[in-house]
Amino acid sequence: MSETDQQAPQPLPPPTDTTRDPVLAGQTGQGRLFAPVQWGLGKLAWIGRLTRRQARFLLIMLGASWGVIFESFRAHSWRRTVRYEFISTMNNIIRGGLVATMFAGVLTGLAAVSQVIYWLGLTGLATMTGSILINIVVREIAPILVGVLLLGRNGMLSTTELGLLSIGGEIRSMQAVGIDPFLLLVLPRTLAFTVAGFTLGILFSFASLVTGYVMSRMSGVINNPVWAFLDDVATAMSGTDYVIIPLKFITVGFVVGLGGCLTGLTATNEDSLRTLLPRGFSRGMLIVMVVSVLFSLDL
Amino acid sequence: MDVYASGPLLELNKAVPSFDESGLPPVPFSMKLMPGDCMVVEARDIGHATMFADLCCGLVPLDDGFVRFMGLDWADLGDRELNALRGRIGRVTHRASWPEFVPVHLAIVLQQLHHTTRPIDDLVHDAARLAESFGLPGLPTQNPSFLPEDDLLRASCVRAFLGRPHLLLLEDPLESGPAELSNSFLAAITEARDRGAGVIWLVRNNAVWQEYRQGITATWRLADDGLVAVRMG
Repeated sequence: MSETDQQAPQPLPPPTDTTRDPVLAGQTGQGRLFAPVQWGLGKLAWIGRLTRRQARFLLIMLGASWGVIFESFRAHSWRRTVRYEFISTMNNIIRGGLVATMFAGVLTGLAAVSQVIYWLGLTGLATMTGSILINIVVREIAPILVGVLLLGRNGMLSTTELGLLSIGGEIRSMQAVGIDPFLLLVLPRTLAFTVAGFTLGILFSFASLVTGYVMSRMSGVINNPVWAFLDDVATAMSGTDYVIIPLKFITVGFVVGLGGCLTGLTATNEDSLRTLLPRGFSRGMLIVMVVSVLFSLDL
Repeated sequence: MDVYASGPLLELNKAVPSFDESGLPPVPFSMKLMPGDCMVVEARDIGHATMFADLCCGLVPLDDGFVRFMGLDWADLGDRELNALRGRIGRVTHRASWPEFVPVHLAIVLQQLHHTTRPIDDLVHDAARLAESFGLPGLPTQNPSFLPEDDLLRASCVRAFLGRPHLLLLEDPLESGPAELSNSFLAAITEARDRGAGVIWLVRNNAVWQEYRQGITATWRLADDGLVAVRMG
């Protein structure tokens, strides 16, 4: 083969249709021109994805809250299976959590009153124990502690049960025979948590107040009978307290129940108990704190 | 059970299942099941068989075509209607379907308790009768994990046939089940068909349904190119 032959110009390959190939299209001048725009769009999409992912649970919570409230007012929703689930969950929460809640109430009453007696005793205002108990223990501490107890005892249980059902496929099997898991599990459990939140919250408050009275009486700070002490407590409560305190208990119960159920129900095949439980607990704690802070901010 | 007699009980008309949602081949599926029919669908892959049953229940989104049950297109129905209609379907499935925190006797009657207003005593009576016919000593009251696999399979049959469903989607309980289940299973199928129910029996191999050969209306194979009719020799 001669040298001339080797240097002969090679025939050019046929022009490639780069508009159909995204890789090749990126090599053209037109692609380079729009690169910053594409980069910007990519970043925008990333921010959107991130925001959506972070806000997803909040949006699900808001939607499901409305769903629970809406469905609970429809007589058709209260089938016997739903009623059974509601009653059994409520019994489990209230009966199971009664002793723990009362005990926590007594301990809180002891701790709070000891501090109140000590600090107010220094300023000679120890007779204000009842008012302090209402403002600190019943209004602020009780909803948080009851929320934590509900979350730990039953909220995590719901998360685990529903999570395992979702991961295992039992939820899908229920849907296949027309049993809506929202109606059968989420609605009654959330409402059971709501009722239990109120019940346990009131019992907690009662236990802490009575303990506070006993402690004050034993330490000689107050000498009134228990009725007078309770009257002081009632007087210390403003009109809005009679609405806000029960509402706080109800809301905490509602969101703990709903959050636990939804965390379980939204579990995917990639989840396991190792991922589900920490997520459920942190979400639950966050929800309880947010509710408590929101109520405290406004009033 | 009111007999449905105004056309096909179940109709798949060029229904293309979403591949992402189901893993089924995205090709048109067409078939008709009349009341009283018993159709065998041979599917080698258990997962595909379950998904095909889901497709019949309207649980798989479609890219094209439609699936109608009792004359109603699943895609046109709201949640409430969808669930009510699915309440008329009895299923034996390979997918996990026994919630661990619900005792088996409750899980058996759960569908009927949810969808009907029949007195619980009647339901329990029917369930106990079915349980005995499928070889159980009575309604099992333990949690599912305490029940042997064979008994759980029998309980699945009780649950599927309870409440006289219009459509039965049976992912073969005979293949992995005890041999003595065969007669009661076939008798239950015959009884259901006699009262107008349609049966889709999903099997993995031909040997299972040969005993019931005379009663089979049509045979199909679930293949990569969709549902393929199989000639019965």
